Parts: sequence; C-alpha cells; structure tokens
Amino acid sequence: MIPEVIVLFLDRAIVAIGGTRDKSLVPHVHRVSGWRCSPDRKTITCLIPEEFTSDLMSSLEDNGQFALTVCEVPSHETYQFKGDYVSSRPSNAGDVTDFERCRQRFAERVASLFGLPEEACRAFVPEPSIAMTFQVREIFVQTPGPAAGRRLVPREE
Amino acid sequence: METTPLPDEIKPVMENGVPADVVSCSAGGIPNTTIISQVYYVDRERVALSFQFFNKTVKNVRENPNACVLLNDPNGCATWILQVRYEHSETEGPVFDRMDMQIEAIASATGMTGIFKLKAADIYRVYSVRKVTFKPESTDQN
Repeated sequence: MIPEVIVLFLDRAIVAIGGTRDKSLVPHVHRVSGWRCSPDRKTITCLIPEEFTSDLMSSLEDNGQFALTVCEVPSHETYQFKGDYVSSRPSNAGDVTDFERCRQRFAERVASLFGLPEEACRAFVPEPSIAMTFQVREIFVQTPGPAAGRRLVPREE
Repeated sequence: METTPLPDEIKPVMENGVPADVVSCSAGGIPNTTIISQVYYVDRERVALSFQFFNKTVKNVRENPNACVLLNDPNGCATWILQVRYEHSETEGPVFDRMDMQIEAIASATGMTGIFKLKAADIYRVYSVRKVTFKPESTDQN
C-alpha cells in the first residue's frame, strides 16, 4: 500500500515519466500527462498522451513491467514507483480533471523556474489518450542526495 | 546495429538546462526511470549521460547496455527520444571536465550546489533518434 505521505506528494508533484521494456529488454520512455492514486492506495493510473504510446501496450502485454518516476519542483523531491500492469483504456472525460490539475501545476512552476510563458508550458503537456493502471510493488527515493536509491516500500531491512 | 547521426538541431536542446529522462532495464527485465540534469553531445554518433546519484542506472547499463533517453524542448514544444547503447565510462578527460563544469552551473542555478557532483561521464552510441512535436492547443476565438 502506498503510504499516505506519498499520496500527498503525488498531489503536489509536477512531472512524471514512465518506463517499459520490450521482449528484447530494450527500454522505452513514456511521458505522463496526469496521474492519480486509487482510493485503496494500491494502484496508480497514468494518463499517457498518444505521442508517447509507442511500444507501450506491446511491452506491457509482453511482460507487465512498469516504472514511474514522479518529481516535485523546486524541492526536487522525487520517488520512483515500480509495479505490474493491471489495465488500460482510452482516456475519458473523467480523466480530464486529473490531467488539467497536473498540467496547471506543471505550467505554473516551470514558467516561474525557467522564465517561460505559462501558455507555452501548458502546451508542453499534451492531452492523454490512454489511462493505464499499474499495481505498485516497490517505491524508491530518488530525491538528489544521500538517500537516493533507498527503498521505502517495502521498507529495506 | 547501425548508428544514427544526431541532427544539428538537437544540440541546443541538450544545452537548454532542462532535465532529461532516462529509462534503463536490468538483466532480469525490470525497467528503471530516472531524471538527470544533463545529456551531453559528444559527437554526431555519441552522447554522454551524467551520473551523480542513481547507481541503479549505472548498474543496469552494465548488465544490459540498452537505454532510452528523452530530451525536453519546452521552447520548441517538442521532445526527442533517443535509443542508445552504453559503451564505456570516463572519469577524467575533456568530456568529463566539460560535463562537470556544466553540472556545477546547473547546480548553482537551481540551488543544488554541493549536491550535484559528477561521478562519471557514461558514453553511449545513438542508434535511433525520433522527434516528437506536440500539436498546438486549440484556442476558441468566439
């Protein structure tokens, strides 16, 4: 189960990037435009734009492995979630609220940090076409610093 | 496996100071995603990735040299996806020195001085380059 403190983090994070690998162990990257944690805190649903779905479904159907790194700026607080593919479907109107909330956070923070127009930053987060859910198996700290790489869930011995 | 030459237009994207994303995969088949501060242009066929903290990526590419890199170009409303293969690691020399200097500059600009510290410049050969341009958001003028 995803700890409550990490659920709260997901509600303030601004960037997420997904990773899969195909049957030849070649990795593939998938930008994620929005995300949400399930009420039972066991799964995360990733909203993925069409432009980043290349090799996504074929990889997930082959082996089910998915990794997701989520980052908050300006603190650089970052976690990586690893887990197993559960399901996917075309994104729908119900996903728009999560997508818009994530996109607005990204646009406001990145515009401020890099001195870019907020509209340009919004355009940099494309609308999703797929809602993909995976069950979280492990969570790792990736915040730059001495704790990077430490496993939070399940807790390291 | 054939090498794909990097186009000149990718150079400014590598120097824009925007973090990049890397996906690697262990020999056991578990993908790993990381955000890194810089991808460095070595020559038309090779890039270098900076590694400071995330030993899992370093470990993975030594088991399985395949990796995937995503470069962000917010100004051009585009991203670049590179499929690369790890070749070797450098801990000194001109590539390492120039990366170290740029990382210090990025650290200073983002308030992370003393936290970002280059341990190695990992050299990768590029075998696929794909530019992804986003459609402009439609605006209702009525």
